[in-house]
Amino acid sequence: MSELTNPAIGADPNAPSGGFSFDNVHRNALLLQRQFPSPHSSDPNASANANSGDRSILPLATKTGTTIVGVVYKDGIVLGADTRSTNDTTVADKNCEKIHYIAPNIYCCGAGTAADTEKTTELISSQMELLRLNTGDGQSRVVTACTLLKRMLFRYQGYVSAALVLGGCDLDGPHLYQIYPHGSTGKLPFTTMGSGSLAAMAIFESDYRDDMDEVDALRLVQRAILAGIFNDLGSGSNVDTCVIRVDGTVTMGRNEIRPNEVGPLRDMVRRSDVLNMREGTTAVLRSSFVGRSGVGVSMADVTVTAMET
Amino acid sequence: MSHQYTADYDAYAGKSAETRHLKPGELSTGTTIMAVQFDGGVVLCADSRVSTGSYVANRASDKIAQLHDHIWCCRSGSAADTQALTDYVRHFLSQLAVETGRLPEVKVAAHLMRRLCYQNKDNLMAGVIVGGWDPVCGGTVYNIPVGGACIPMPFALGGSGSTYIYGLVDAEYRENMTKDEALALVRKAVAHAMARDGSSGGIIRTLVATEEGNVRDYVSGNMLPYGPAGW
Amino acid sequence: MASSGSGYDLSSSTFSPDGRIFQIEYAAKAVENAGTALGLRCADGVVLAVEKPLVNRMLVARTTGGYTRSTSTRASRSRVSSATAGRSLTGRGRRRAITRRHHGTKIPPATLSSRISAYVHYFTLHGALRPFGASTLVAAYDTGTKRHSLHMIEPSGVCYEYYGAAAGRGRQPARTEMEKLVVNPSRVPEGGEMISVSEGVRQLAKIIHSLHDDAKDKPFELEMSWLCEGSGWKHEGVPREIIAGAVEWAKKEIENEGENDEEGDDDEDDEMEE
Repeated sequence: MSELTNPAIGADPNAPSGGFSFDNVHRNALLLQRQFPSPHSSDPNASANANSGDRSILPLATKTGTTIVGVVYKDGIVLGADTRSTNDTTVADKNCEKIHYIAPNIYCCGAGTAADTEKTTELISSQMELLRLNTGDGQSRVVTACTLLKRMLFRYQGYVSAALVLGGCDLDGPHLYQIYPHGSTGKLPFTTMGSGSLAAMAIFESDYRDDMDEVDALRLVQRAILAGIFNDLGSGSNVDTCVIRVDGTVTMGRNEIRPNEVGPLRDMVRRSDVLNMREGTTAVLRSSFVGRSGVGVSMADVTVTAMET
Repeated sequence: MSHQYTADYDAYAGKSAETRHLKPGELSTGTTIMAVQFDGGVVLCADSRVSTGSYVANRASDKIAQLHDHIWCCRSGSAADTQALTDYVRHFLSQLAVETGRLPEVKVAAHLMRRLCYQNKDNLMAGVIVGGWDPVCGGTVYNIPVGGACIPMPFALGGSGSTYIYGLVDAEYRENMTKDEALALVRKAVAHAMARDGSSGGIIRTLVATEEGNVRDYVSGNMLPYGPAGW
Repeated sequence: MASSGSGYDLSSSTFSPDGRIFQIEYAAKAVENAGTALGLRCADGVVLAVEKPLVNRMLVARTTGGYTRSTSTRASRSRVSSATAGRSLTGRGRRRAITRRHHGTKIPPATLSSRISAYVHYFTLHGALRPFGASTLVAAYDTGTKRHSLHMIEPSGVCYEYYGAAAGRGRQPARTEMEKLVVNPSRVPEGGEMISVSEGVRQLAKIIHSLHDDAKDKPFELEMSWLCEGSGWKHEGVPREIIAGAVEWAKKEIENEGENDEEGDDDEDDEMEE
């Protein structure tokens, strides 16, 4: 035991063997010294702490330091999101999806811990589908999704770190909600969330108008997300949009704008021929095709006999 | 025991009672809310600002929530907590109304709210004003401050902005006001609180609850009854 | 009894082939054999009266415990039969009334009665439970609607509101007598008026005494209580002098009627004795 204990953290080699071990007390003291972060120290609105001097020695959850927005227009809802997900100061995913499916007529943008937003929306969407089947009602209500989400988030007292923009259309028309990690909600004509919410809100506050048409609304959402991408460190990469119309149709605009396309730039770089593998570099010696063996049953295997009457 | 109190005070030094329990990132309706009884009903009034720290998360929110046909409440404190509380009270009250087959009393609504606030006081940050009309007592206002007391009052103030206007309301309040006088009082008082309190702002929402029904109204941010005319 | 020995009367969770639950009927029998309890809803309040038989001639009257109890200051109840069953029920009623008081108001009479009846009914559903051998009369005042009312809950768990209710040994003739009183507001004869509480006390005393056969039945104590305008809508025992006065008046009335009856038809009396 004693040879395994780091003498630097003060274990006494002369301590009697057996009895209780208080090694963890030293470990805890060390963790405290290294500024063990409280579970709440991560603000969904703050950018991914780029230059925090006392970095925790514990691994951090991947966060979508994010710009997500939603807006109500004449005939429906437009949702928007960027596609960057970060792990501390590292970009963990350059093209992730932040617009989640809740129901055929309801979608939800998520900011906060990536795993939390992913799993909460997944859970609620499954509850919504079961509810549709149980009630025999073909259409989910947006307010139902909002209530289920807020109840779950309130139950977890903010420890499920999901800040959401929920939008959809039902028989009462278009609805847009913002939902905070602690379980509070608000119903608004336009809303932004995530670390880039300030940049996006600046666009909305200056150019939002009531009863816009779809083109204008989509353009406004794209500009708001671009504002987040360019002005917020936690947001970046591409613009995803989603249009949900009162007539029930949905248009997902995945990577609708790619302002950070690096392909052409890469092509411009001249690399050494040694590094370029041409087609046919590896010779094909032999190829053979094996047909599928008949395990399944096809109509040809079925003998049809007339029913006795 | 006195030294313990001192220690607690030190820990909260520099933080208002409204914000000291909020977790980082939690939304607060750092607020001005009030309610006034008048002959035959009540007037409820609230600003519309919801903030996270120094950011206004919602500038046109609705802090006046319905608990039953003629019973309403104004919320202050944590947005999540007060929304959950009003959802519970609304649920219990509708059950009670079905069981007894009559309109619930404002008193019952207030006591339900008080019980939830008191029993969960360690986990909640909620200051609520319950007001409304019922066939037994008429217009009634109850103040349920943080901690879970329940005090019937002819008028009640709440939220971070209320401290700026206690004097004003004490000076201007009179017994047996008419509906219009009460409306004018709450609008003036809340407008003055919004002017001095950084956590209050936006528009003024009002609600009048009487036997005949409920009437909502609002005063937009550029029409607030504050300062000398043309200021 | 036809049902005994058939095996269908062993548990309240068993129906007999003709669709009856004998355990509940036995519980009702326990009430039928107990002293009479009456309740009368008058114009200005409710009166409750209980005939408490003195089971032992050596018993000191007034020490056998009240059969009418206050569940809260606004509601009261009287019950018949199994003293322990009744006590358990009033205790529960008190707790019920207190729970609602936490909501800031007094429990409405119909709600209190239906809660008690739900509880009583629960005891008729399970094989492991014995139905209550008690009927409960609930006299209560509703602070919300400013109305007073009288409810009765029977061992089966049924609960109805009454103008006049009776349970116990003399319930049948008592009901016949109470029907002659003006207690139904919608059937007040022209020029007449609803019976008052003070008149109700005298009438109930008379009914209890007229049903009692001094030669045959055990001696009894008459317990009366009211909840009326005069008592500030609080449940109170009727003052001893008033009961004494009512009993004196009742005995005189019964004597007079007896003299008249001797001239009339005797069969009527026999029928009423049941």
